Amino acid sequence: MKKYISSIMTSVRVGFFLALRDIKRANIWTTTLIIFVMTLTFLNLIVIRGILVGLTQGSVAAYRDRYTGTVFLRPLDQKQFIEDSHLPVGILNNIAVVQAVSQRYTGAGTIEADYRKVVVRDEEKDKASAVVVGIDPEAEEKVTGLSTKLIAGSYLQRSMKDSVLVGSSLLSTYSAAQGVGTSTLKNANIGSVIRLTVNNSVREVTIVGVVKAKVQTIDSRVFMLDSDLRPMLGRDDFNVNEIAVKTRSSDDDLVVKSVLLGNGVDALATVETWAEAQPQFIRDISATFSLLGDVIGSIGLAVASITIFIVIFVNAITRRKFIGILKGIGIEGLAIEFSYMFQSLFYAASGSAAGLAIVYGLIVPYFSGNPIDFPFSDGIFVADIGSVSVRVVILMIATIIAGFVPARLVVKQRTLDAILGR
Amino acid sequence: MIEVRDLTKTYTSGQGELTVLKQLNFRVKSGEFVAIIGKSGSGKSTLLYQMSLLDCPTGGAIMIDGLETCRMSEEDRVRYRLAEFGFVFQEYALIPSLTALENVMAPILMRSVSFVHAQSRARESLTRVGLADRAENLPSQLSGGQQQRVSIARAIANRPKILYADEPTANLDTATSKTVLEIFKDLHKKGQTIIMVTHEMEYAKMAQRIITLSDGMIVDDSQKKKRV
Repeated sequence: MKKYISSIMTSVRVGFFLALRDIKRANIWTTTLIIFVMTLTFLNLIVIRGILVGLTQGSVAAYRDRYTGTVFLRPLDQKQFIEDSHLPVGILNNIAVVQAVSQRYTGAGTIEADYRKVVVRDEEKDKASAVVVGIDPEAEEKVTGLSTKLIAGSYLQRSMKDSVLVGSSLLSTYSAAQGVGTSTLKNANIGSVIRLTVNNSVREVTIVGVVKAKVQTIDSRVFMLDSDLRPMLGRDDFNVNEIAVKTRSSDDDLVVKSVLLGNGVDALATVETWAEAQPQFIRDISATFSLLGDVIGSIGLAVASITIFIVIFVNAITRRKFIGILKGIGIEGLAIEFSYMFQSLFYAASGSAAGLAIVYGLIVPYFSGNPIDFPFSDGIFVADIGSVSVRVVILMIATIIAGFVPARLVVKQRTLDAILGR
Repeated sequence: MIEVRDLTKTYTSGQGELTVLKQLNFRVKSGEFVAIIGKSGSGKSTLLYQMSLLDCPTGGAIMIDGLETCRMSEEDRVRYRLAEFGFVFQEYALIPSLTALENVMAPILMRSVSFVHAQSRARESLTRVGLADRAENLPSQLSGGQQQRVSIARAIANRPKILYADEPTANLDTATSKTVLEIFKDLHKKGQTIIMVTHEMEYAKMAQRIITLSDGMIVDDSQKKKRV
């Protein structure tokens, strides 16, 4: 066994010796071209997937940062609101990692513009359905930074009674296309007075701002002061419908959830981490895009493997005579195979290194500063070290195999035939 | 030391069978310098390939120090060649991407010798063939004679039991050929067993013994003493 290992180690050493000199004395342009192809392959492997996953990651991050927070509490099934809301809020306020808590009242309602206008026969009212949300503007700002998502007007202040922020999806002026089953107000903008109806309670309110968060749940809501909405809902008990929690880090979600569950909050509300609170369709899209990225990456990997295979095969075939001579003077086939594997590894490693430099030196910083403006998210570029490392390793293994196979095919030929070119 | 018994080599092609070596029998003692001579197509190179384990005979046996070599696997034959043989090819057969020194080092490294030791032994071998000052040159930067001397340095670097040479002077001019043969003579004086194939009688006469092949058969096997 010891002798066998020693023999392999010697083959590795001689293979490295031969490969190093082959690479050193190869044509610089040929080497550059191969490395360039490997770099493109690496980018194909990482970038396409990075953008595809980034699209959904952007949505996931937006949903978390602009709606649920890192931990989200909603009513238990069959319940209209979170009973004894003050209990979980009290617990949350005593957890060190919790930075802010936003309590929201919600109710289904309608908004109507031009409601004083006499409607002619068959003319449709300028009316839209919406979820009306009562918030504490300061708390909401701390959790979701709602004011940063205003595309017109100004943010709600505690003193601004009978004022609303309207989601961009509810206003024709700001909504590119009307979705199926949704309606928008045609004649409403900043400063317009609209009629808000919730729970048969009617109120005239003024639009002070328009929100566009690229999260449909937010963009189809109407925000007003909690003190305005509570009486309309008849919620004298101060029990709310949603509690969004912001923690120091998104990784603190499990800690907070476990504290809440440990204190029996699950009897009052459904407690979810931001990942659990994601809508199913986002999870499905994420999984689909990730799979799509992997499929495209696999094609890239196959292209890389075939490229290396061809390069090494052509190299080995043209140097068949020298491979025969090496065997003739006593260099073991395994050493020659290692030599070609090291060369493949060199091409893959160089291509990956150049690719990594491009990804982390150019692409990631560029997309961080300039997210892709997709209608449903700000597309970021996802290239986490873990998944990139896995792909680098896969690329290395694939290219080593692609280098080994042709070398083996040539090495296995009869020594004398290789020397004499028969 | 080397015993060739009923050695036969037959090639099969679409046109039928061609027997190149026909039941050859001879022995080579340790330290002998044997020249195998014959006309083109007489089978001398084929004989050398069988004896140096680069090819397998169709029939018969080659015993080296009592070991039946024909039964060895391809891998074992590579190992055996590394341990026991040196081989000088007709067309130098140097690896173009390796310098003279590195060409000589490669088989030394394969014997699990440290890099530094291999380097020193390779320099020693190059010095023996008078090429110490050309160690860092690539084969393309050397003349034919220099390349053949590097090939000899590589062949003797592992201090082989037997040195095989296949027409080592075929591509060289007369003066360079004599330099190469002088190296062989010098090696022989120091006890090296050499088996050399050549078609030049003038060079064959430098050997201690001449085996003449014709049409795959030994037609003469003469010692120098007798020839003198």
